[in-house]
Amino acid sequence: MKTHWTIAYKESAQMLRSQRGLLWVLAFSGLLSAFSLLLVSNTELSLLDNAQVVYMMSGTVLASGALLAAILGSDAYAGEKERGTLVPLLCAPVSVNALLTGKALGMLTAWGVMFAVATPYLWAVGASGQNLGAALFYLALFGTPVVLGFGYLAMAVSARTGSVLASLLSTVTLLMLAASPLLIGPGLRGTAIGRALDAVNPFAGALNTLDSVIIDSEPFSAQFARLLLVVVWLGLCLLAARRSAAHPNFQ
Amino acid sequence: MKKWKDILLVMVTMVLLAAASSAAETPLILDLRPDDNNPSAPVMGDHLRFWSTIMNTGADPIEGLVAWISLVEIDPGNEQPVDLEDWSAHKVVTGAALEPGQSLRTDWPMRLIKGGDYRVVVSVTDRGSHKVFTSPTIQFNVRQKPVLQAGRVLPAAAGVPLLIIGLMVFNKTRQRRKKVQV
Repeated sequence: MKTHWTIAYKESAQMLRSQRGLLWVLAFSGLLSAFSLLLVSNTELSLLDNAQVVYMMSGTVLASGALLAAILGSDAYAGEKERGTLVPLLCAPVSVNALLTGKALGMLTAWGVMFAVATPYLWAVGASGQNLGAALFYLALFGTPVVLGFGYLAMAVSARTGSVLASLLSTVTLLMLAASPLLIGPGLRGTAIGRALDAVNPFAGALNTLDSVIIDSEPFSAQFARLLLVVVWLGLCLLAARRSAAHPNFQ
Repeated sequence: MKKWKDILLVMVTMVLLAAASSAAETPLILDLRPDDNNPSAPVMGDHLRFWSTIMNTGADPIEGLVAWISLVEIDPGNEQPVDLEDWSAHKVVTGAALEPGQSLRTDWPMRLIKGGDYRVVVSVTDRGSHKVFTSPTIQFNVRQKPVLQAGRVLPAAAGVPLLIIGLMVFNKTRQRRKKVQV
């Protein structure tokens, strides 16, 4: 088995077999359960409200995935250093790229688990509405680069600072800023500053795409610019992670 | 001489009155009908189609015609105009010109987003007349459909966490067994 697969298997097992990883999945499913139960009692929802619910739930899944990636990424190098396992790991015949790829595959597995957990909820609230299939497709297409990008960014900061706390604080703060479109209304986002932030914010790009395809039923051709934005985001974060991972902080 | 003046005055007045009366007449006929294939008891999510016919009955061409569809909710206590943005992508016809005797037939499709009682109307105006003409209204009821089905949500909301808890218990038991074996 190739080295990066071995590392990916170990990282994935932490998510699927450890009580800590399963506890996160349980908390995530509890969040989605509470969200969907709150909606059941409302009998006067329009079809549009239904699409709005699917959109909001997709946004919540995306934010939770990015948060998990930030936590796992922050632990990737600094956590190994704090546990005293980074030096033996780097002394082992493991290339920098293999280590990075293995950890990224582990994050991808965690995101896959979250996506799988979220699917029955999205089906439950969205099956009688519109664009459920599109919601799942675009959540996977846009969510994966956004989530992986936050993971790579957290790994870059983690390797550079050598501190889980510093990495976690900086990445989660950036994530909160990026995820602010989930909280602020369309009025504020319609201002010049709001539009400028949306144009460079990959999280907002993914959210706007979900809004566009779930609520407005717009086609794939309308999403190219946003797809480019999230792919560029992923590329930049990968570059930053590779550079930092090549010279991790041992101090 | 005075008699001729009076006759002339009466004639001019009659001509002016006739002209005014002609201007006050509607220079177009506007009709609105539901499509024959519309469901008789529409439910949320169904599609309805309406057909409007605008006919120029005047002697002059109508330039810069604008026709638009409006929907009003008339549920008691909830009377309000409806923003058609999510109901229909075809809300207006602009820039059309109608020669005398010519007519314009337009279809107005819409998707029923919300339950309730509604009235639909098509309005028309043009560049020169400074008037708005309205079609007869059509009233319809949209039956509410449960958007979220408890039968779907409850199993997911309870089942998924229970499944994860089961997995956690299974993992814990297996780990204990391994420790005992060691």
